[in-house]
Amino acid sequence: MLEIKNLMVFYENALALNNVTFTCQEGQITGVFGPNGAGKSTLMYTISGIILDMKKTEVMRGGERITILGEIQFKGEDTTHIKPNERTRKGIVLCPERRRIFPESSTLENLKIGGYLATRQEAKKTLEYVFSLFPALKDLKNREGGFLSGGEQQMLAIGRALMAQPKLLLLDEPLMGLSPAIQSRLVQAIKEINERTGITILITEQYAQPILPIVDHGYVMEKGTIVLAGTAKELTDNPHVKAAYLGA
Amino acid sequence: MNIFIFGLVNSVILALIASGFALVYGVSRLANFAHGALYILVGFATWLFLNRLGINYIGSILLSIIIVSAIGAAIYRLLLIRVKGMPASEIIASLAIGIAIMELFRWRGFISEAYMLPPFVKGSVNIAGVFIDWQRLIIIGVGLGMMLFLWLFTHHTKVGLSLRAIAQDKHASIMSGIEPDRTAVISLAMGSALAGIAAVVILPLGNITVETGYMVLTNAIAVCIIGGLGSWAGVFAGAFLLGFTEILTAALIGPQWQMVVVLLFIILTLILKPSGLLGRQKELEERV
Repeated sequence: MLEIKNLMVFYENALALNNVTFTCQEGQITGVFGPNGAGKSTLMYTISGIILDMKKTEVMRGGERITILGEIQFKGEDTTHIKPNERTRKGIVLCPERRRIFPESSTLENLKIGGYLATRQEAKKTLEYVFSLFPALKDLKNREGGFLSGGEQQMLAIGRALMAQPKLLLLDEPLMGLSPAIQSRLVQAIKEINERTGITILITEQYAQPILPIVDHGYVMEKGTIVLAGTAKELTDNPHVKAAYLGA
Repeated sequence: MNIFIFGLVNSVILALIASGFALVYGVSRLANFAHGALYILVGFATWLFLNRLGINYIGSILLSIIIVSAIGAAIYRLLLIRVKGMPASEIIASLAIGIAIMELFRWRGFISEAYMLPPFVKGSVNIAGVFIDWQRLIIIGVGLGMMLFLWLFTHHTKVGLSLRAIAQDKHASIMSGIEPDRTAVISLAMGSALAGIAAVVILPLGNITVETGYMVLTNAIAVCIIGGLGSWAGVFAGAFLLGFTEILTAALIGPQWQMVVVLLFIILTLILKPSGLLGRQKELEERV
């Protein structure tokens, strides 16, 4: 479904992604694990196309020069140069790092904005699904986003992404800064989304432990390069992964 | 009673003038310094359609407002889009267009007392002992109607919600499929139309002069600074605070002190709470 070929991203002369090649199989959950600064977020920005908007802003400001090389294929189509909002229309939806919900809009408005491209019927159906997935949001639907707790904001961010009718859902560090109890609830929800709707999911995390059980296929990234790849079981058994990412 | 009614009229006038400016800034983070120029442009255009082309009053008004929205959209599409993200350049570019439009009118000789729009309804009414003309009452009606419309629009329509979304987080909005340049064009067209609506209801109170353009821009900025840029409630709070202060100063101390007190308010706001009365605190936006 998603094929990344020889992707390289430079911020000025710093190499953020170095010859990254990997694939996401349709209907599967793929995990990318790596420490801070490994290039996980750059990878997400590049797949979702947000990096093109960042590049445009930098060019106008006369700031950092961002260079993107390589190819991103989504469903057999080269999407490397397609605008980010067009990619959303094609079904690539990013749920960004640190949630980035709209703080001054209510929970319900956040979800409605997420459904900007959806038809009225799709929006209504998805809204019901989001509320069944995260019942807490239903009770908070008139509360402003900025007043939700971290866990509620993350649920809202995932809900908002679902409203955009994704075919490929990109989750950038969805568990960051949350308590273990909320983490495990979110992991369950992510698994449920994948099973119920068949949406392909690409997920990044620093710490692999909570996510690995639901991942079909995983990659380990360090300093912009993929250093390890394998099924969830292969990664779990790998001594390097055990030491660095599973805390064993 | 006098003070209350004229304070109210003055406040609504300020809110009407500032709402277009605030809408554009709130959505696109663009300070449109051509706002005052667009305001008088509508005044002169309506006058021309009415007196030179013989179109009826309502037709002239609608035509001018449509034209000014198109001009607002064109200003973004052709010019501001190239300097976006650089606040100083945005201000210089939009102010330059504004001055060009206003001075064009001065150059073409639009400087006589002949340039005035007729009131919608002539005459006045007596409310609790105060004589007030119908035009001022219409201003209150249009102003309150406009606020209601804007609230409904930004809270209950897809386009309105997307305008608010992009004002809060551009990248997150793009990920929901919203196209930022399109929203900016819509916001400038709407902001210009709001300037136009303000112009056609307020201008019948006096002459259309080039100086009005500069004054409208100053007032719009003053209201937004005091109320807090990017906050709707702030615009209304700022407009009412300034509106009543102006009238009270004129009545109690003398009209010549009006501007001094207004400037004092701006300075006080900038010293005590630079984000304005109801400007949002950044800390609320992110909870990690």
